[in-house]
Amino acid sequence: MSEKKGLARAAEIYAKSEQYARELKNQGKKIAGYYCCYVPLEMLAAVDYVPVRILGDMNENITSADTYLPTVMCFFYRSCLDLAMKGKYDYLDAFFGAHSCDGAERVSYVWRSYLKYACNFNIDIPHTVHPPAIEYFKNQLEAMKETIEEKTGQKISDERLAAAITLYNKQRGLVRELYALRKADPPPISGTEVLQVLVAIMYMPPEEGNALLAEILEEVKNRPVTAQKKPRLLITGCLIDNISFTKLIEDSGFNVVMDDTAIGSRSFGHDVAVTGDPLGSLAERYLDKIVCPRTFRETGKNRAEDLENRFGYLRKFVEDWKADGVYLNIIRNCDPHGYEIPELKYYFEEMVNVPVLAIEQDYSTASLEPLRTRFQAFAENIE
Amino acid sequence: MEEKKAKKRTSAKTLQTAREAGYFGKKMLANTRTAVEEGRPVAWSMVDWWLGVPICKAMGVEMVFPENWSAFCAASRTAEPNLEYSEMDGFPNTLCGYARNTLGYARKLKDNNYVIPPDSPGGGLPKPNFLLGCGAVCDARYKWFQAMGRYMDVPVWMLEFPQVGYKEYYLPGNKEKTIKFLVDELKAFVAFLENLLNKKLDMNKLSELVQIMFQTNKIAHEVDLLRKAVPSPMVSQDFWAVMTAHFYLADDLEAQAFYQRVYDEVKHRVDNKIGAIPNEKYRMLFAELPPWHTLGFFDEMAEKHGIAFVFESWNYHVPSPLTAEERHGISDPLELLARFSYHKFHEMAPVAREHDIDPIIFVAPYLNYVKEYRGDGLMGHPLLSCRPATYTLMHVRNLLMEKFKVPSVIVEGDIIDLRVFNEEEAYTKMDAFIETMDYHRELRKKAGLDW
Repeated sequence: MSEKKGLARAAEIYAKSEQYARELKNQGKKIAGYYCCYVPLEMLAAVDYVPVRILGDMNENITSADTYLPTVMCFFYRSCLDLAMKGKYDYLDAFFGAHSCDGAERVSYVWRSYLKYACNFNIDIPHTVHPPAIEYFKNQLEAMKETIEEKTGQKISDERLAAAITLYNKQRGLVRELYALRKADPPPISGTEVLQVLVAIMYMPPEEGNALLAEILEEVKNRPVTAQKKPRLLITGCLIDNISFTKLIEDSGFNVVMDDTAIGSRSFGHDVAVTGDPLGSLAERYLDKIVCPRTFRETGKNRAEDLENRFGYLRKFVEDWKADGVYLNIIRNCDPHGYEIPELKYYFEEMVNVPVLAIEQDYSTASLEPLRTRFQAFAENIE
Repeated sequence: MEEKKAKKRTSAKTLQTAREAGYFGKKMLANTRTAVEEGRPVAWSMVDWWLGVPICKAMGVEMVFPENWSAFCAASRTAEPNLEYSEMDGFPNTLCGYARNTLGYARKLKDNNYVIPPDSPGGGLPKPNFLLGCGAVCDARYKWFQAMGRYMDVPVWMLEFPQVGYKEYYLPGNKEKTIKFLVDELKAFVAFLENLLNKKLDMNKLSELVQIMFQTNKIAHEVDLLRKAVPSPMVSQDFWAVMTAHFYLADDLEAQAFYQRVYDEVKHRVDNKIGAIPNEKYRMLFAELPPWHTLGFFDEMAEKHGIAFVFESWNYHVPSPLTAEERHGISDPLELLARFSYHKFHEMAPVAREHDIDPIIFVAPYLNYVKEYRGDGLMGHPLLSCRPATYTLMHVRNLLMEKFKVPSVIVEGDIIDLRVFNEEEAYTKMDAFIETMDYHRELRKKAGLDW
């Protein structure tokens, strides 16, 4: 790969992520694939795995997965398994699945039934943040730690874990700094560029990812702002991992200024507390601090309280990033987000007075173009 | 032109007890309406594999299950208006059919000031005091009830329900830590109920209900064991009718007595070598949730091809009873509940380990069933709107073929939405599948498999 810097380097790694991972492998690094944002990367980094986020490919027709998965399920996870069965993740040395949703859980199990790794663990993630659930999740992490230690022959000492926590806290802090720059109007960095940066660092050893983020921050702070003022959009819901989609949204008349997805702010929104109980801190951060509809929050006394418990953090995003509209992205067949549609629309449109566009899409670049007119109409309505 | 024979929608059922079983669904619905009239609390609950429902019953709460009611709506073909209501309110049509049916109904209930609309199927569900979701099996199991807040404005409790892979199951200490988690969560649930209902849980009453539930499920398990007989004494059409008694009312003595009668009737058939269908030629398994609206399909298959659907639907079946060793020294009913529900979901871990496959739920059981029940084939029923019962069907199909040379036929449909079940295509596929089963019987013989 070339010696580009900053955003150009991020764009290149994003575009050639598989090649980049294989180069790391050729350099002697061990690569650990993981699902969603609930697998504590600190534990992987503590034994010198390079954690690589498993993503699908909106450009690739799903063919091989048909043998293993039905068509009536999450198109993203179908795509992930499709790539794996085609050998595109054959560089992995370890695999970490997670019960972040039904799709992730079942595909984790199907995956490991056919593809075997020296080190493998599936985390069962509770659905509440009750104190016993945090304790259970901590026990899961303890079991994951012991499995990694046994399979790699390396001890994950508290010191190594603390060092990895510090490393990833730094990464999360740098990403949040980048996100904070997007509060400006117009933002100095596009949603498309941010997505390239996030995917790139999800393929990089964390030290290198942090160095790249530092370069990018300097670059973005110091470059002339060329973007136009446009309606400012918050994206929430299912992840977007392909810039064709963010480009389409931005070309339709928006500046994407903030997100609430598993690739974006959910992965980088909160640090792990530095305490004498690193596993406990990891459990708190990964289960409680990540807010995703897959985790049930107490309903409170009535519907209004329930809505605030579920969506209050998004109201704050809208206020802090001065979003003019909210796009709720649903990859077809996603239950955790699908059930949210009416209430999330009600919350923003009736209680916060911000319009919402909700779209179910098929996780395929081939089916994106028809969405353009819907985004254009949404932007025009806001203007 | 020869007039085409009209297809039967409902199943004829072969057991007398199966023909009587509809009573229990009606009883649940009637009990909840009576409770509301008498000022007693009512809850809508997700199926939770006996984890939290006995606690509610011990607290004097009448329980009703929207899943069960929605299956009734599907069978009586009365769900469509509710589905349309939920879609009008913005719920995607890709969500669970049961959920959309109930969400549509809940909206009608709210619009009618919580007076049950007179045209409600089965007399309808009254407004609950709370909603009981559950983390087992599917995201819909709690997201659906959370979404119901839009109409019901009552508290929702989410029962935690851990489910792990076989490798994790066998990690030292994992099981006991998980049981402790379940017990801690049940204690929190009890505190929630006591606060909501302003009364204390009677632990003696709960213990009594747990013992009734264990006994009912023991009988149900024994019925399952009897079904291994050749010819099959009880087919899926019968099971889907009688299951209401153990699945929803296992802690009810009337249901228990009923299940004893089911056992007696099935035992009589086994002892006298009476098959549920005449001329049983093929023994098939069914996965996972049936097309409630078209159960007559299975009678047609029996009549036309001699197919007995001998076992089915892992999720509806009881596990084996807890062993004396597992129960030894445990008197806390909360722990007994936790152990039993955990057992249901992890009982097949040894099968998963034997074959080095996952998940334990929905998949490993079929690797067991196919041998125990001598299955010639599997009918997989991918559902448009129930992904958790669908995700692993192709995986099961692959494994049955790879491990046992047992073929599968895949017929797409839905639990509730008539619009996606193509009956003609289903019949055509099954017709063609007969030859496939014949061919694989020969292959199994050559491979030394004993069925």
